[in-house]
Amino acid sequence: MSSFQHILWLYLWIAPHVLLIAVAVLMFHKGLHKDFPIFVTYLLFEFLQFCILFGLRSFERVPISVYQDIDMFGRVGSIALRFGIIQEMFEAPLAHNIPLRRTVSKMLNRATAIIVVLASIFIGFLYYGTVSSRAFPPYAISQALNTVQCCLLALVFLWHRFLNLRMSPVVFGIALGMGLVAGFEPLMHALKDSIPEQNSRMVDLLQMAIYHCAVLIWVYYAYAREKFTSNVMAAPLLEVRRGAADLGRVIHL
Amino acid sequence: MIPVIVLTLIAVTFVVFLGFQVWRRYSVPAGPALAGQLIPIDLDAFQNLTDPEEEAFLKSHLAAADFRGVQRSRIRAARLYVAALSGNASVLVAVGQSVRDHADPEVAASGAEIVQRAMRLKVWCMLSELRLTAALAFPTMLSPSNALASHYLTVTYMASSLPSKLAA
Repeated sequence: MSSFQHILWLYLWIAPHVLLIAVAVLMFHKGLHKDFPIFVTYLLFEFLQFCILFGLRSFERVPISVYQDIDMFGRVGSIALRFGIIQEMFEAPLAHNIPLRRTVSKMLNRATAIIVVLASIFIGFLYYGTVSSRAFPPYAISQALNTVQCCLLALVFLWHRFLNLRMSPVVFGIALGMGLVAGFEPLMHALKDSIPEQNSRMVDLLQMAIYHCAVLIWVYYAYAREKFTSNVMAAPLLEVRRGAADLGRVIHL
Repeated sequence: MIPVIVLTLIAVTFVVFLGFQVWRRYSVPAGPALAGQLIPIDLDAFQNLTDPEEEAFLKSHLAAADFRGVQRSRIRAARLYVAALSGNASVLVAVGQSVRDHADPEVAASGAEIVQRAMRLKVWCMLSELRLTAALAFPTMLSPSNALASHYLTVTYMASSLPSKLAA
């Protein structure tokens, strides 16, 4: 690896994780940590994971298997927390409506279960014949779960569209950033498996660059302020009023 | 190589989807969606269609095959009403959103309340549509619910009180 590549690699490893702290600080500053506690936990978890892995890498005595185990634990934790974040985004518009939150939560759990089954079948078919053992290898499970998260993130956007609700900047930013990460991760794993070892460094750099973009998106939307324009729509309101007057005679409220 | 090709296609499709969401957020103004008009709904007729007593009466006076046919027609009509209610709930969400950040705290609170209730109505409409779709297959086992009408009236009444609050 050339020195430029090495510097770029170090930058792409360190910078996004430092920026995660900036996102967390912005979230705390705006009081958003109360609405998105799992996202803030995810930011801190990712940072902690980075600190441990970076520290381990500096110590040459640490066996590679320990590093790999911690890395695997971190990946599992990140995927689990991302499911929690998706639930937070689904429930964000219903923050003050507990019965409806329960209903939506049940619907989301059922949708997730169906998508997990479909994604597992899909990834299973994709690797059918190339995998010798009957059990799913860890990378295939990770790919299946990332595919599930892509589908669920698409549902987050469609859910807000269905409700005719404008997404808050922070929800939009989280969904966009997570979408980039979850959308490309399965492809990156597949690419690393299919190309020679010496070229896999480029895939690593690309994956780190995508993660960096995602973190920059989080920083931007955590900082962004929505311009509030209380444009009261006279026409629909009058229509509503007229409609209610007609309906008033049907049922006494 | 096949997994790489398939996963590339998925990643590209998803990125295009995300790009579309960004484009939509910044290029499509909220106005046109908000300007949707409320569809007039005959709630009397809707309540008749979903009235359990009416259903019981038809069941007792018609032959089983005839009842199934009539009930299917009633369910189809009820679905049209629910779709119209759902569309109106979207307009009411937009109405609530447009005043949710109003300078007057009372108007803003009303706006937030309308958004919450209209969203609840929207979700109920979605669940009702699912239920009615299932009822089409089993018309004698599942009955449409008439609770939606009263929820709709509550939200509409709240939204209708907004102009006077704004004028105050």
